Amino acid sequence: MLKALPGNKWNFTTAAHLLNRAGFGGPPAEIEKLLSLGPEAAVAHFVEYDKIPDTTPDPEWAKPDPDRAKKFMEARQLGEEERRRRLREIQRADRQHMLELRGWWLERMANGPRPLQEKMVLFWHGHFATSVEKVREAYLMWRQNELFRRLATGNWSDMLIESAQDPAMLVWLDQAQSRKEHPNENFAREVLELFALGEGHYTEKDITEGARALTGWSYNRLEQKFINRPFLHDTGEKVIFGKRGNFDGEDFLEMIVAQPQAARFITTKLWNFFAGEMPSEEIVTALADVFRKSNNTFKPVLRAMFLSEAFYGPSIVRSQVKSPVQWLVGSVRMLERELPPPIVCFSLTRNLGQDLFAPPNVKGWDGGLSWITTNNLLARYNEAATLAQGDMSPVSGLLLANNPGINMAVERRLRNIPVHSVDVSRLFTQEERTNKELLIPALEKRLLQDKLKPKQEKVLRDFLDSKSELNINTILDAIRLVMSTPEYQLT
Amino acid sequence: MNKEITLQTRREFLRTSALGGALSWTVPAFLANTFSAMHAEAADSATQTATGRDSNILVILQMAGGNDGLNTVVPYSNDYYRRARPKIGLAEKSILRINDEIGLHESLKGFKELYDVGEMSLIQGVGYPNPNRSHFVSTDIWQTAADSDKIESSGWMGRYFDNTCFGCDPTIAVNIGRQMPRAFQAKHPVGVSLESPQSYRFMSREKGKSGEMTEESYRKLNEPDAEMVENSGGTIGTLQGSVQTGGSALDFLERTALDAQLSSDKIRTIANRVENQATYPTSQLGNSLKLVAKLIGGGLATRVFYVSQGGYDTHTNQTGTHERLLKELGDSVKAFVADLKAQGNLSRVLLMTFSEFGRRVAENASSGTDHGAAAPMFIVGSKVKAGLLGKYPSLAPSDLFQGDLKFNVDFRTVYAAVLENWLKTKSAPILGRQFVPLQLI
Repeated sequence: MLKALPGNKWNFTTAAHLLNRAGFGGPPAEIEKLLSLGPEAAVAHFVEYDKIPDTTPDPEWAKPDPDRAKKFMEARQLGEEERRRRLREIQRADRQHMLELRGWWLERMANGPRPLQEKMVLFWHGHFATSVEKVREAYLMWRQNELFRRLATGNWSDMLIESAQDPAMLVWLDQAQSRKEHPNENFAREVLELFALGEGHYTEKDITEGARALTGWSYNRLEQKFINRPFLHDTGEKVIFGKRGNFDGEDFLEMIVAQPQAARFITTKLWNFFAGEMPSEEIVTALADVFRKSNNTFKPVLRAMFLSEAFYGPSIVRSQVKSPVQWLVGSVRMLERELPPPIVCFSLTRNLGQDLFAPPNVKGWDGGLSWITTNNLLARYNEAATLAQGDMSPVSGLLLANNPGINMAVERRLRNIPVHSVDVSRLFTQEERTNKELLIPALEKRLLQDKLKPKQEKVLRDFLDSKSELNINTILDAIRLVMSTPEYQLT
Repeated sequence: MNKEITLQTRREFLRTSALGGALSWTVPAFLANTFSAMHAEAADSATQTATGRDSNILVILQMAGGNDGLNTVVPYSNDYYRRARPKIGLAEKSILRINDEIGLHESLKGFKELYDVGEMSLIQGVGYPNPNRSHFVSTDIWQTAADSDKIESSGWMGRYFDNTCFGCDPTIAVNIGRQMPRAFQAKHPVGVSLESPQSYRFMSREKGKSGEMTEESYRKLNEPDAEMVENSGGTIGTLQGSVQTGGSALDFLERTALDAQLSSDKIRTIANRVENQATYPTSQLGNSLKLVAKLIGGGLATRVFYVSQGGYDTHTNQTGTHERLLKELGDSVKAFVADLKAQGNLSRVLLMTFSEFGRRVAENASSGTDHGAAAPMFIVGSKVKAGLLGKYPSLAPSDLFQGDLKFNVDFRTVYAAVLENWLKTKSAPILGRQFVPLQLI
């Protein structure tokens, strides 16, 4: 059992911490609201999200395209040149849809009614780390994203089985090509190593036998959905984790979840994602226990985690490096501004090293300190000017290099996209906007939920002093400066 | 094996950079030699390591998209070549001959000159077992040096940095481009990625006085604490201890912020001060190498530079595109070598090309080529074992694997040679096992 956070430790800092981690942060008013709820109700507000209606419409293209396979087949009949032209057209549409999809998801994170659900979708996306670079179809990426959303805090076996059978994964880890004559081991290997148990908790034999069990699970390209093809399934006996039987894919995945290590593996990863550090032995044991007692569901684990005193420890609060997505969405929320257009968001996060729907490999993003390099840090500081002041130069100036074909067009379009500056009258009272001794603490509270060092406060004061008056531009500059500190990169 | 050289330690960097940093608030254009003159103790490390004047430098040149090796190093007298490429095969008379069997594409005059004066080795038939034909996957394989069925998140250069210079100057690795190549990915990330010196900086929105004030405030907000500067000059033990254990995330961010500021100042100063001494072609690759030459000439502490040239994915009407790309490649590298020679730095620079794969032996129906396997690599420098290395893979249909050339040199034997004989470090911890280094230096 984890010791619960005592009521007397529920304050602005801890409430802000919950909002930052279970969601994507927010303005002081939201923190105050959580504070007034008390810890139990505040945590329930996040965890019991299914009580909050979500009416976000799907992207209009997010449905199976029965003509897609036909288009490919038709193209194949054509001459080389025409064939390539048609394929380029399909690719162009997919690229456009991917851009919209990124914007659609970011919008859900920034302004949707269920922040924890979106945070969990982000967790699962990093966990199952499927990339459109190989899947190459926006509809499939959206489908997987929706699956993560539907099962976000649900049962682990359901999640493993459904994601294994989801088209994006079938393509990503080659299960679609697996046949009983040549079982493809890619998915079986990754599910053991990266998704469910971790190295040292299975044998090479478990991989090959698991791959045999999974044969028959395939992808129907025409209907863009999973299909079980019995004639591809290896019906022979398999030995998995020392047990013999004529196992199929579901058996294999259920057997994995039943392994003692399974509960420890996934709860460790969850704690690390939300707390920003590896859990102690005591924490893992406690979380794994909650997980097992609730029949391998995540919701009770999350509740226990967010209510535990350990989650609000000094090494955890304000000590996690913001991922680029957290940096963007959190900034937008703290600055109470609209999310910039999808193309701008795409460029902003990509410059910082996180391209949604295109994790670097099946291990996902390394996260933590690896988000920070000298140039990523300078990019964060410059992009702060985009969000605070609507300055587009950090975005458009950087888009030309690696892929001129795509980026030239992107850059042309970018020049015509207005990104507004922040509305300072929404963020600060009349008094704060005219008195720098009030403005400085207000900036700190809103952007850091913490104080700057005295030396940094002095720098800010000197900066404001150097201006003849506290006008909008000066306040915008001050916002950008606070965002251009090491402290702001943490949450 | 040569004596191992450990790179600059964190301690030395902090000491020198904190001194430089202290100066840079007032003299933004600080230079390595300026601050070494200010502090006798720092002088050694500044000249030995911070400026890197005595260290070997590696330049990695990525030919992205999968270069058609067969039309680069052409087996012009081979009948199988003629048969496989009726439309895009290159005319025998156009070839820049290396011997009676092979020669270079006529656009590679720059390379031919380097080859003839003994400043280039040409490695034939490079690849790896179980080749993958996806750009995405195969690029990762080359960048991480992993076996083709393994997933590895760190890059081979990243592991080199992790193993040899934990916490070293971030400019130890410089990528010219927007995104850090996977090759540089490390447990403890180092390296700078910049498209131009102008963009690698804190940019003020306003010009003039007002902008200067914003920039000055940014500098001060990201200035290290007095304690940190003090530590770096004095009680080093405590500081190094906290570096070794990683310290807090905030410590790490503060150090990186300082590194960013210092390296930005340094790079921009060098770029403004150093003049190129050769004429480069006007192209992206030309510009990248131009900048690399400046940074080498200016004494930046860099051991590894990374540049890339895209466009090699020639599925359709390959001939014209490929010709233009190779001309840009040959001319840019030729100018780069001339520039380094004029600087007196050529003897400590090695340039290595790679591409994620070669292309199919047989041309396709649209006068292009599809993704293939083995291809040549070029190594340039005055210390290379000049000439041909490896063996040209057989083009006989029965010797091909699914229409592709089979490799006979594993690229990791090239990496092993670069690591051991050029960067003077053990290769096995970086490449995961011992590869026999190819004799190329």
